[in-house]
Amino acid sequence: MLSAIIITERVEAVEGKEARSCAGAWPVPWARIEVLGKSAVARFVDSLREQGCDAVSVIGSNPGLGASANGSTADYWVNAELLLANQKQEGFDSFLIACCGAYVELDLTDMRAFHDEHGDGLTRAIGPDGPLDLWMVDASRMSDRDRIFPAVRNGNSAQYPVRGYVNRLVSPTDFRRLVVDGLSARCRLRPHGVETRPGVWICEGAQIGRGSRMVAPAYVGRNVQIMEDCLITRGSNVESNCQIDFGTAVEDSSILSDSYVGIGLDLCHSIVDGSNLINLRHNVTLEITDPVVMRKIAVRGGDRRPWADIERGQMALSAE
Amino acid sequence: MLTSGPIVVMQVPEVLNVKEVDSFMEELGPLLESNRPRVVLDCSQVRSMESAGVEMLLRCLEEVLKRDGDLKLAALSPEAEVILELMRVARVFETFQTCEDAARSFNAIPADAVPQNTPWYADVFSELGVLKQAS
Repeated sequence: MLSAIIITERVEAVEGKEARSCAGAWPVPWARIEVLGKSAVARFVDSLREQGCDAVSVIGSNPGLGASANGSTADYWVNAELLLANQKQEGFDSFLIACCGAYVELDLTDMRAFHDEHGDGLTRAIGPDGPLDLWMVDASRMSDRDRIFPAVRNGNSAQYPVRGYVNRLVSPTDFRRLVVDGLSARCRLRPHGVETRPGVWICEGAQIGRGSRMVAPAYVGRNVQIMEDCLITRGSNVESNCQIDFGTAVEDSSILSDSYVGIGLDLCHSIVDGSNLINLRHNVTLEITDPVVMRKIAVRGGDRRPWADIERGQMALSAE
Repeated sequence: MLTSGPIVVMQVPEVLNVKEVDSFMEELGPLLESNRPRVVLDCSQVRSMESAGVEMLLRCLEEVLKRDGDLKLAALSPEAEVILELMRVARVFETFQTCEDAARSFNAIPADAVPQNTPWYADVFSELGVLKQAS
């Protein structure tokens, strides 16, 4: 039996050395952020379940807090080790261990076959540009005293080349690339909602104002409100519960959930999360302090945490 | 504040919110009321700008244009550039890499170098003159 244990933190955070890039300043790993209706982690969980993984467990910190803010990233590994020990006793004989970060389209059967053939009980997935934080390990390979992370990280492993699409999601540029690849069907990440015409997806509850234009490829998420005379185009995605006010143009940009974007703006090559804006062309991160321009929309009931979609349906365990 | 002849160069504060706009305008306002004001705003320190800041820039531009002057932006920080693009006003202003370039641009085309074209109506009136003579 195979169990998957997914830790929703970057390895850099787990090792205590956050990236100092533009992306490093972003409080939540990109893989936990909703993209075309569902986060990359939630999609990975779905994919593992569909491929017959017997148990999928997700372990992570409180959303909205950076790893350093929580101060105890090692706890995730302690929880993972406890879980692994329990599952070993329950009869699971192999484990897929993933540190969330990359979006990987993994063929689980293929990796398992490779693992059985090549490995010495430990296999690491390799993407086109290097190793991924994704391991398959036999229960017999892990003694009860082993710490999982050093054991999988430093152990001699077979290298399994992932044949599917891989996006490392280490930077905002990677995130935008994933959006565009999803909208242009360059990967298996399918947008939620209905494709109202080729390349334009609109989810349930979305309202599009009169005179607004959606030019493909474009995505409008659940309960989004687009006011009159707006333009959404060039691979832009407006995620759930956002509001785009009168006359604003959104071009080659991502608006993350629960964001308000003000009247008559021209948003290009950017990612917006509430009052935070990353402009990819100028490589600059800004906090817009003027709520008339941009702000976070207050949660109107329901769970809007980045991984709420995992928790609602599938999550087996969560570290507090 | 640094002045070079009739050209005024002023540093825009790091944060341009409602409060900062008021104090900045106290300093800049009287200069805009001169005859043909020529102003360069150094935006190299700008880290954040609210809509009040953008409105102030537009108001200043309006004032100087009314008095036959001009206002130019120089050394825009990436933050300032992003905000001006976001608010659709980037193209309204003439921008320069440095304050020196902006100041120099005021004198870029000396008056005597401008070709003295005959006005568009000159030909029409000369024809009229010919017609009058004929009549």
